[in-house]
Order: sequence, then C-alpha cells, then structure tokens
Amino acid sequence: MEAWLNRLMMRGVFGAHPIPVLVYASGIAIACALVLFAIALPFASIVTWVERRVWARIQSRIGPNRVGPNGFLQWLADGLKHICKEDIIPAEADPRLFKLAPYLVVLAFILPWAVMPFSSSLILADLNVGILYMTAVTALTVVGVLMAGWASNNKWSLIGGVRSAAQVVSYEIPAGLSIFPVVLMTGTLSMQGITRAQGWSPDRWFLFASPFCFAAAIILFVASLAENNRTPFDLPEAESELVAGFATEYSSMRYLFFFMAEWGNMFVSAAIIVTLYLGGWRFPHVSPSPIAMNLLEFATFNIKVLIIVFVSMWIRGTLPRVRIDQMMSLCWKYFVPIAFVNLIGTAVWVAIWPAGNPFAAWSMLAVGVLLAAFFVRRVVHFARRSRMELYFHPTI
Amino acid sequence: MGAAATYFRHLREAVVSIFDGMAVSASHLIRRPYTIQYPDRMPVRVQDTLPFRYRGILDVDLEICTGCLACDRACPIDCIAIAIEKNAATREIVISQFDIDLAKCMYCGLCSEPCPTGAIHHTTEFEGADFSLESLIRRFIAEPVVAYKAKKGAEPDVAVADLLTRGMTYVDEWAQPGSDKPAAVAAAPQAAVAPVVPVPGPGK
Amino acid sequence: MSMLRTEEMTLNMGPQHPSTHGVLRFVIRTDGEVMREAIPDVGYLHRSIEKIAEKVGYHGFMPYTDRVDYVCAMFTNQAWGMACEKLAGVEVPRRGEYCRVIAAEFNRIASHLLTVGLMGMDIGAMTPFVHALREREMINDLIEELCGARLTFNYMRIGGVAWDLPPGWRDKALAYLDHLEPIVNEFNALFSYNKICIERLAKVAAIGPADAIDYNLVGPNLRAAGVNWDVRRDLPYSVYPEFDFEIPLGSGEWGAIGDAMDRYMMRIRELTQSARILRQALTQIPDGPVLAKVVRNFKPAAGECQVRVESARGDQGWYVVSDGTSYPWRVHVRTGSFAAMGMIQKLSRGLMIADLVVLIASLDVIAPEIDR
Repeated sequence: MEAWLNRLMMRGVFGAHPIPVLVYASGIAIACALVLFAIALPFASIVTWVERRVWARIQSRIGPNRVGPNGFLQWLADGLKHICKEDIIPAEADPRLFKLAPYLVVLAFILPWAVMPFSSSLILADLNVGILYMTAVTALTVVGVLMAGWASNNKWSLIGGVRSAAQVVSYEIPAGLSIFPVVLMTGTLSMQGITRAQGWSPDRWFLFASPFCFAAAIILFVASLAENNRTPFDLPEAESELVAGFATEYSSMRYLFFFMAEWGNMFVSAAIIVTLYLGGWRFPHVSPSPIAMNLLEFATFNIKVLIIVFVSMWIRGTLPRVRIDQMMSLCWKYFVPIAFVNLIGTAVWVAIWPAGNPFAAWSMLAVGVLLAAFFVRRVVHFARRSRMELYFHPTI
Repeated sequence: MGAAATYFRHLREAVVSIFDGMAVSASHLIRRPYTIQYPDRMPVRVQDTLPFRYRGILDVDLEICTGCLACDRACPIDCIAIAIEKNAATREIVISQFDIDLAKCMYCGLCSEPCPTGAIHHTTEFEGADFSLESLIRRFIAEPVVAYKAKKGAEPDVAVADLLTRGMTYVDEWAQPGSDKPAAVAAAPQAAVAPVVPVPGPGK
Repeated sequence: MSMLRTEEMTLNMGPQHPSTHGVLRFVIRTDGEVMREAIPDVGYLHRSIEKIAEKVGYHGFMPYTDRVDYVCAMFTNQAWGMACEKLAGVEVPRRGEYCRVIAAEFNRIASHLLTVGLMGMDIGAMTPFVHALREREMINDLIEELCGARLTFNYMRIGGVAWDLPPGWRDKALAYLDHLEPIVNEFNALFSYNKICIERLAKVAAIGPADAIDYNLVGPNLRAAGVNWDVRRDLPYSVYPEFDFEIPLGSGEWGAIGDAMDRYMMRIRELTQSARILRQALTQIPDGPVLAKVVRNFKPAAGECQVRVESARGDQGWYVVSDGTSYPWRVHVRTGSFAAMGMIQKLSRGLMIADLVVLIASLDVIAPEIDR
C-alpha cells in the first residue's frame, strides 16, 4: 500500500499542496494501523484461549472446549458476545474520559508491535531505539487505566486505578534497570541488533551470559508481570477486594478492550524478554532460502514467547495476590537494589571478559538443567502422592 | 547481620515455596481433569448415577396410595394438598385431589418417611426448571380414584404388585424406629478397594 | 506526612461483593488503602428461623435447621435432635449416635475445606479454591449417598438418624480418608506454606486469648487464640468420649498468636483430626438400630433445655423452651459467626482493605449463621 501511494506521489497525483500530503500520510498511518491490528489481535486472542485452557487444567477442570476444535474459537465467540452487549456508561461518569480510556489501553498494546522482531526480516520498523520505544509505549497503559479508574466515578474503580499507577510506575524502574545489562553488553538499543548479538544455542543467550544477567532476566520477568497487572500483582483489578478494580463500571466491548490489552501485553512483555535474554528469533542457518529461514525464525520466536507466556499463566494458577505495601516493599527493597547490583556487576563482567565467558555460560546452563530435572522430580512426586485415581463418580 | 540474614531468608523462603507450589500446579497439568460435562457429554444420564436415596422431585404412585394423609400431616410447609371422601356405602376412600406444589417443596423427605406403601417418594429427577409457578404444581389426579387398601393375608393385587415391591423397597430404606434390623453395612460387605461405580440402591 | 491533606472515604462493601461470603455489608471508613474502621451491618439474610420453629413443630423443624448454617448443616441437625431428646428424655441407640458423629465429622471436613479454599480465593489464588471444592465434592457425593441431599441434609431425626449407612458406604468413606491426607499435604505445598500466603496472613488481625474470651469467640477462632476449649472434649456429648483425638491450638509460629494464619492453619489441622475421629468411628461402629421409638406427635413435657455442639464454626448453643404442646414455645440459637462479627469492628482499625477480606475469611463467618 505504501509503495502504491509512493507511486501515486511520484506521478504527481497529489501535487505539492498540503492537503494531499496529509491524505498520503494518513493513508500510510491507516495502513500501518491495520497491519498492526491484524497481527496483534489474533495473538492476543489466542493467548486468551491458551490461558483459559492452561488455567483450567491446573485447577482440575477442562476449560472451554465447545466452540471450534478444543474450544479454539472461544475467543471469537466471547468477542462477538461482548460486541452484542449493551455499552453502559454510568450517568455520574465523565463520559469523554470514560470512552477514551479503553482506546488508550489498546493503543499501548498495539504500538509495541511496530518493533517486534519476529524474524531477521519480519519487523515493521527496526528503530535504532527499539527497546526504549518498547518500554515507553507499554507504559502508556497506566494512563488508560488511571483514566478509567477516575472517569468511572466509582470508589472501587478509583482505588484500582491509583493502585495501578503506583504499581506500574514503581515497577518501571527494576524493569528498566534489568534491560540495561543487555544494552551494556551489546551497545545497541535496536531490537534486531540485540537479537543478532546472541546465538541460537542457549550458551550464547544473554540469559546465561553471567549470573547477573540471569538475575536481571528474572527481575524483568517479575516486573513485567507487575506492569501487566498479572497475578501475583493483579491488585488493580483484585476481584475479591475491589470487585473488578478499574474495570468495575465497564461493559461490552470497552470491557473487552482492557482484557485484550492485558493478554496482548503478556505477549509483548514475553517478546521483550525473549529478545533480550533468550536469543530472540535466532535459528541455525539450515536453508539457503530466505523465506524458509524467516519462517523458521518466526516459529522459533513465537514458541519461545509462548513458553514465557505459559509460565506467566502457570504462575497465575499458583500464586495468591500480594498486598499493596508488600508489592511496594518487594519492588523497592528487593528488586531495585538487586537490579542495581546486576547493572554494576554486568559492567564489571563486560570489562573483564569483553567477549563473554563461555565457561560461566556452560556451567550456568548445567545448573539450569539440574534445577529443571529436580523440578520434574517434584512434579512427579506430587502427581504420585495424592491418589487421583480414586474417584467416586462414574462419569468422569 | 540480623537484618541481612532476614533479608536473605525471606528471599530463600519465597523461592523455595514458590518452586514447590509451581510443582504442585504443574503436576495437575498431567492429571485427569475432574469436570463432569453435564448434561450432554456424559456416558449415562446423571439421573441414573444418583444414589437410591437421592431426594429429587416428588412423585406419587396413586395405585398404591392408601389415602392416609400421613404425608400431608408430616409436610412442614403444607405443599401437599389432598382431598379424600369416604364412600359410606362401600367403605372405600376416594381421593379426589392430590397436588404437590413443587415451588414450595424443600425436598426434606419428611412426607415419604411415614408413607406406609412408598406411594409418595422422591425420584432422582432434579431438573425442575419451568416457566411459570402454575406449572410447578403437580396435579396427580384428573378424576377421583379409589384409594389402595391392603388386603390382609391375601396376595397383593397383580396389577399393583410391581409398584408395591418398589414402594416397599423405598420404605425399607428408611430407618425403622427401634427395630434391630441387621445393619446394611454388615449384611453386604463390599470389596475393600473403592468402587468406581457407586453401589446402586436395591431398588434399581 | 502530616502536611498532606487527606480525606476520609466511605466505602460500602456489600451486600453484593465478591468476598463477603453471602450477603454481608460493611461500611468502611478508609484513608486511602488503610481502613479507619469497618462497621459490619448484619441482617440481610434474616429468615426468622427461630420463629418458624414455633409454627412447624418439633419433627417439622428439622429441615429448617439445615438452613441455619447450610455449610455444615449436620451440626444444626444434631443440635436440634439433641435438644428435643433432652426435653423428652429419649435415648438414642448407639449406632444412631455413631451415624450422627460420622455424618457430622464428614461435614466438618467439608466445611473446613470450603473455608480454606475461600481463603485462597479471597487472597487472589483461584486454584486452591477449586482444589478444595473438588475434595468437598467427593464428601458431598458420600453424604448424598448417605442421606440423599448434598447441602440441606435433613439426615437426623429426633431419636437418631433417618437412614442407616448404605451397603458398601463404609469402605468408600475409609478410602476417602486415605485419599484426604496426601491431598492436605499437597494443598499445604501449593498454598498454605507459600511465602506470599504466609506474608498475607501472618500477623494480620491477631486476637489474644483475653480478647477472644471477652468477645465470645468460639471454635477454631478461639482455639487459634490459644484457648484450649472444645465442646467435644470439655462438655462431651454423643459418643465423642469414645474417640481419641487432639485439639489443635494456635501457637503463633507465623508471627503473633491468634493471627489470621493461625486461624487458617487451625482448619487445616482439624481436617486431619476429623479424619482421625472418622477412622475410629467407622471401624468401631456397633450393630443395632439407628432410630429410637419416638411418637409422631412429639409433645415433650413443659420445660427448657440448652444443648451445645461443636460445629465447624464453633460452640453452637440451642436453647429450647417447651410448654407441653406439640410446638416449641421458644427456640434460640447462639452461633459463632454472630459473635465473630462483633469483633470485626475492633480488629479492622488500621488494617488495609485487602486485610479486611482476609479477616472475614479467617474468622470463617457464614452469612446465614449470623442472621438465622
């Protein structure tokens, strides 16, 4: 579309007047927006289905399994249902802000997709400040949430919105500090640059580059949970305390927007972690065809992201919610100091071993594998200990 | 020292306990789910899996109803309405009305307990939703019927024999006051392993 | 900080709120997240059950007692039966008493499972709640087979129980008890010993022994405060003296004695103790009748009596006055939840909104029991 508009421009269809240029610019913008929407929405929606199924299985349930194969089209049914519902705006609410808030939240979730490095060529814009842009636009969510909480004119919503503001702003700091170690090592902010600095094999991922990087990756993951209002940091919408928090008064599609953004943001934060620490789309060079390589890289990237998303769902199925003062002390007493230590430690590490330390990488990888093995043992232990074969009902 | 030790103890406890918790929830990913996909995706109707004592919607077998009004008297909320007339000539009891208001009924089982023949009994049906209160009143009698009367010493009527057997099984299920009936548990020893299928009541 | 001008906010929590366990209402005065006070407002679930007793007679009131506390209805059944038997001097057959104890202790396990699960849900973890309900469901299946209902049992009668144990039921019940213990351990690993859970519950709304007695707390809440009192042992009724079981006590090992964590762990420990009683009861149960001979038109002599049972929510007192007719002249129920509600206003000062939810869940208040 851009090329087509460019051709029209070359032919002088628009002339040199300002209005045609504006038309041209908005045409580009609409085209980009459509592409972003088309990419972002299915991802967010599929994540909802995966989450509900995973969550259900953790709770000994089945989850949605009626619409489509294994309930895969449940997100479509839910979306249609929400569109068909009445859009209620409370009489006492501030109607303009109330209507605007969900769009801001969705905006904050759509914008990061512009620099999402799906593969070596599949990226909309490889900005040289990619990761900075990413953190900047994801922080927009809080504006929408705060606006929703304020405009609803409901005390529960207000508490939810203010909680969200406090939480997201606090956790920006450890998250930002956990991004810097990678920037220190690569010397670039570009998403593609960071990905290319890593290799396809785990020992050349930044996760295992140094113990500091490992800690930074975990802090980044937990901070991203907090920024996305995910359990154990779902205080802004804590349903047992605040009814539904900032979304209490919302209904219909506007309500859905908040949750679409939440699930979409899970994908975005996971993509940041994968790009920074888990080698991004890197895949061994197995085929000379660029198309095949790009497809493989795309698949690698998505599988890694979905694994991180799965872990965050799994955490949601396990952990209770922290209290607001604990959330704050966790951030300021634990994460921020540790993140600073990581940053300084990485700086020292890079000064000593500018090209990385393969021995450290391999030994950390070994420790990781051992931990995973121990974890699997615990899982099997719990699965065997409580006798789930004992049922009293014949129809299970 | 103390503060630093507490700091690291908190960190360690958090990591260890969350590690274990995650192992438990992961172990449920590899177990079978417990959901019953009521009502359509079940191998048998759920009503057929319910125990014999299940107190579902009330039903009345008028053929073996003696018209003794014991159920009417026992009902704490008066949801049973029975009208009987005594035919002076034949000395028979004629039941002209037998209504149960299921909207009022609280499924306590007090009515079926004193019934001598098990005519009024709970079924395993429980899907009682309806569109109007009026349709929840079950009217069991269209035109007056003669009440059942047990013939002393004689064999029961062939027409109602089956119903009577079922009714008496139902009555026998209730504890008889003071009777030293051999305990059911001792009488029917089951396999030690938990049966997957619930033991059906004797009436099924 | 005093330079900042703050404004007090009044929040209405309930009657429709996800974590008020029924229709309860709290008027909360807060300063931001910190509560100045939470004032409970009860009466939204009042159904005049005590008055109904004066209208339906002794036998007919039994199903209504289910509704006094529908989470553990066996205890209210048992209390009503005991009160009537005491008035009329009816002797319950031994097998009947055993059946009562078995049903009641199963109901206690079910009720405590619901409580610990709800605690999970109230602090934001859905999985423990669903797991606890899954276990409770198995008990419901057992009780359904025993008495035909899953919630409002109406199992007991004046003079015994309405049904004997069905064939094969005992083995199923014993198999369930074997199954329960690993499940409790798993539940602890998943939730109780989780660091976040401990941080949320420990040192929240601690109730000392003196306060607990002053405010009339009963049952697990009282024992969590370190007061060694259990009606089953101290004012023995039914066949409880024949069983060997421990009364767990709050020790304050997570911070303060009688805090929310102590009250929560009290329920977890009582699960195993109930299982222990059940094992003994199911193996010792004698043969014989389960129901004494009681006339249909039950007319106890004029007089009054008071019975106490240890329900899942604590010492439940039933006071019945008879005037010699077939209807009781007055019935009064003294429930643990109502007393616990009186404590909330005092405990809530200085807590956070999130802690109020924990406080309600840890006191295990159940709306129908508060209002009757």
